[in-house]
Formats: sequence, C-alpha cells, structure tokens
Amino acid sequence: MRRGGPIREGLVLLCLAFLPALGETIYWRNQMSWSHPPVQDEITVAQARSLGGSILWVDARPAEEFAAGHIPGALLLNAEQWDSLLPVMLNAWIPGQKIIVYCGKQSCGASREVARRLRDEANLANVFVLEGGWEAWEESKK
Amino acid sequence: MKTQIVNLIAFFVATSLTGIAQAELKWEQTQIELHPAPGDATAVGSFKYKNTGGAVVHFKSVTTSCGCTTAARKKDDVAPGETGEITATFKVGASTGTQQKTVRVETDDPASPVTILTLRAMIPQMLELRPSFVYWENSEPPKPKTILAKAAKELHANNLKVTSSSGEFVASVSSIGQNQFKIEVQPHDTSHPVSATLTVQPDSGGKPVYATARVVNPPSTQ
Amino acid sequence: MKTSQVKSWIVGLLRLLVAATFLYAGVIKVTNPIRFSRDINNYHVLPWSVAVALAFYLPWLEIICGVALLLRRFYYGAVAILLILISLFIIASVSAKLRGIDVSCGCFGGPSRNLNFATHLALDAALLVAIAALWLIGRRMRLERA
Repeated sequence: MRRGGPIREGLVLLCLAFLPALGETIYWRNQMSWSHPPVQDEITVAQARSLGGSILWVDARPAEEFAAGHIPGALLLNAEQWDSLLPVMLNAWIPGQKIIVYCGKQSCGASREVARRLRDEANLANVFVLEGGWEAWEESKK
Repeated sequence: MKTQIVNLIAFFVATSLTGIAQAELKWEQTQIELHPAPGDATAVGSFKYKNTGGAVVHFKSVTTSCGCTTAARKKDDVAPGETGEITATFKVGASTGTQQKTVRVETDDPASPVTILTLRAMIPQMLELRPSFVYWENSEPPKPKTILAKAAKELHANNLKVTSSSGEFVASVSSIGQNQFKIEVQPHDTSHPVSATLTVQPDSGGKPVYATARVVNPPSTQ
Repeated sequence: MKTSQVKSWIVGLLRLLVAATFLYAGVIKVTNPIRFSRDINNYHVLPWSVAVALAFYLPWLEIICGVALLLRRFYYGAVAILLILISLFIIASVSAKLRGIDVSCGCFGGPSRNLNFATHLALDAALLVAIAALWLIGRRMRLERA
C-alpha cells in the first residue's frame, strides 16, 4: 500500500497542482496584470472620515434620489445628465482635492463607472468609490 | 478501494443535497451582450425562459440595478411548459463604453428563488475627448494645453468645430490623421479664475461633445 | 479492539471534514483569482507578481490535497502539505494583525469577510488541530498495527 514517504507523496501533489494552475493562468492571461495590482479605489465611510483635507463628494445616483437626500455638499453627477452635470462638478473641484463617488445600492455599479470616467476621461487623480454607498453613509450616522 | 468510492459518493451526496432539486424555470441565457448602433437611444435585451417543472412559477419581483434600466415581464405566473421572456431596456443617454446592468428576478421556485440577469451594452462612442478637462492653476503661465479628439470612422469627420462659451479661452483644431484631431486650448491670462465649456462638433454633423477648461484659484490655505 | 475502532471512526470523520473544508476553500478561490491575489497582496509581504502566481497555484493545491484525502491516495503527503499551509496561514494572519493590517478576508474568500479576527483564528486553530490529529493518530495506528 505504501509507495513512498510523505515527502515524496507531497512532492507529487505539489507537481500535480501545477497543471490545472497553469491552465488557469493561461485562461486568465488577458484579464490580469502580473506587474501591478488592479486599481484599489474603494474607501469605507470610516476611512473617508479620517482622510482629512477637503473632499468633494459626488453622488452618482438618479436625480430623484439625490433630491430626496444626499451627503452634505455632494454634487450630482450621473450618466444620464453627464454632459450638463460634469462642468458643474469640474468647476467646483479644487486641484488636489480628493473625490469620493457614491451611489445607491451596493449592487449598483454607477459610482464605479462615474469614477472610471472621471479618471479616464477628465484625467483626474485621487478618485475613490465609497464602499456600501449612500446606505453605508446613512448607517454610519446611527 | 470500495470504501473509498463509498466515501466519495457520500461526500458528494452530502454537499449537493441542497442543489439536487432541479430548477423549474430554465433560462435560455442569463447574460446578454448588446451592441447598440451609434445614436441609438436605448438598448433592449430579452431573456427567454421556460418552465420545465411541474408547477406554476410565480414572479415575486423583477428589479433593476439602476435608474437607467427598466425591466418588463409580460406575465406574473408561468404555467408548466410555458415559455416567456423578460425584457430589459437600457437607456443609453450619455453613457459610454461597456455598461453592465443587472436585473434581479425573484420567484417562488424554491430551487432557485433569485436569478440575476446581466445586460452588457457596448456603447460605441462617435467622438471621444481625452482629456475632457484641462485647467491652469493661478500661478501657471497661460500656455496652450492639448485635448486629443478621436472620431469613429463612421462619423466621416474631416474637421471639428470648437466653440468656447467664454471669450477668455481660444481653441484651435488641427487634424493629425486617422480620424484624430488635436485641440489646443489656451487662456488669455491666468490671473483670475474663469471657466468655459468647449463644444466640439464634427463638421459631418452628429451629436456634439463637451470639454471643460478652467483657470483655478489656488485653495486659500496654500 | 474497541478503542481502535472508535479511533478509526474519528480519523475518518476528521478526514472528511478537513477534505471538505479544503475543497470548499479551494473551489471558492479558483473561481476568482483576482480577488484572491488582492487578498494575498493585502498582507503586504509578497510582491504583486508572486501574489498572482500563488493565487493561481494555492487553490489548486488545496483542491488536489482535498481529493487526495478523500481518496486516501498520497495521504500523508497531502496531510503534510495541508499542515504546512494552515500553519503558514495562521502565521501570516497573526503577523498581519500585529502590523495593524485588516485581514478579515483571506482563506475562504467572500463568505469569511464577516467573521472577526478571533473567530477566524479559532477556526484556523481548529483546522490545525484536526490536521495534526490526522497526522499523529494515523501514524500511531500504523505503528501499533506493525
């Protein structure tokens, strides 16, 4: 029954695991960078509060939800009225100011998309996405 | 060897007990990729389903992830053997690039109470400005800054017309080939804060795109 | 005679539990190497490219060792590897905690994000004890038989 010591057995297993791992590496080759981690731009309410300095809050939700309540000082910026809202936001921004984008439910990717466009299209740095969005902000006030 | 096989079977039975009941509502696909044509106002995807079980399946709710998406169901109850579809409409608006929206379908089917349908829309951009925002800080010399404009081939643009909402900025356009243009923006002076919206319009028609130019006052704390 | 029977039952049960745990942990990470490499990166010990390589390799190692335990093939090799893996994981978690890094995420991917550090450590310790027991009891039984 016994074929070899645990060390030899272990080595066989270590090698066996290489094969599927290699396959997976090839499968994911275009979706992952080996040289640098993906942009990690999520920020929690607590982190945002401790950031200090001035923060420009950007609300990526639909206008009705923004009207019903938003983070104090936040500016509305969503894909539906992008062209008219973006200049307002850009004119309010101060160089060096951090931008935190938030949206409604966690499932909604609007804040991520707005953050991406601010980075890629408007060439802004220090753009973050609020983890948990508006609900997390409301929760933190309790 | 025999006990090993028994063990293996026992393990898989134990771990898959919850998944053994077959879902009654079978979706033809839960992911759709759409390629709306340039200028389309909406992109519509229909998710087809069939009730392959023996009981009526009732839709409890159909909700979308964002305000820019709507989903419609034609009926609330699906009889055994019946087919149908849920259509998801995505309002393109000023969105660009790849947009992913989800539709959450809740049914009374105990095997799979919640199904997430994914709608991916690849929205072509006719005219793209990089960056869409240029600014000068108060102390900066009023040198020109460049915005690169990439036009889609289908736009057949030979030139772009750039107008500034404020006389404080001048903009000039030059074609650099391959449907690309260089827009140079320059403020008259940077001694006082001022901003302008630049409207970029292809000579071949089509929707204009916008850029923002601004002279910024440094924050008072600095 | 009776005690050895009880022992072999316990060993069998532990074996299934440990195998199931690592199969689960492996499968859940195989499906999302991006998340797992971020989790590894979060420990701030290894460069990103090593994190990516590990993210592709470790889940499969867990799965293969889990299968080996189930099938009782290469049994002690698998037990040895798992023993080393769980020890390394515990060391990494504790060292990260000491350096003030939040590592609420890790071994089990998403579902373990809601556990606090103490629960996490307790689970890992239980796993360590189970694997060590597999090694020790199994070896002793073999000696007794011989």
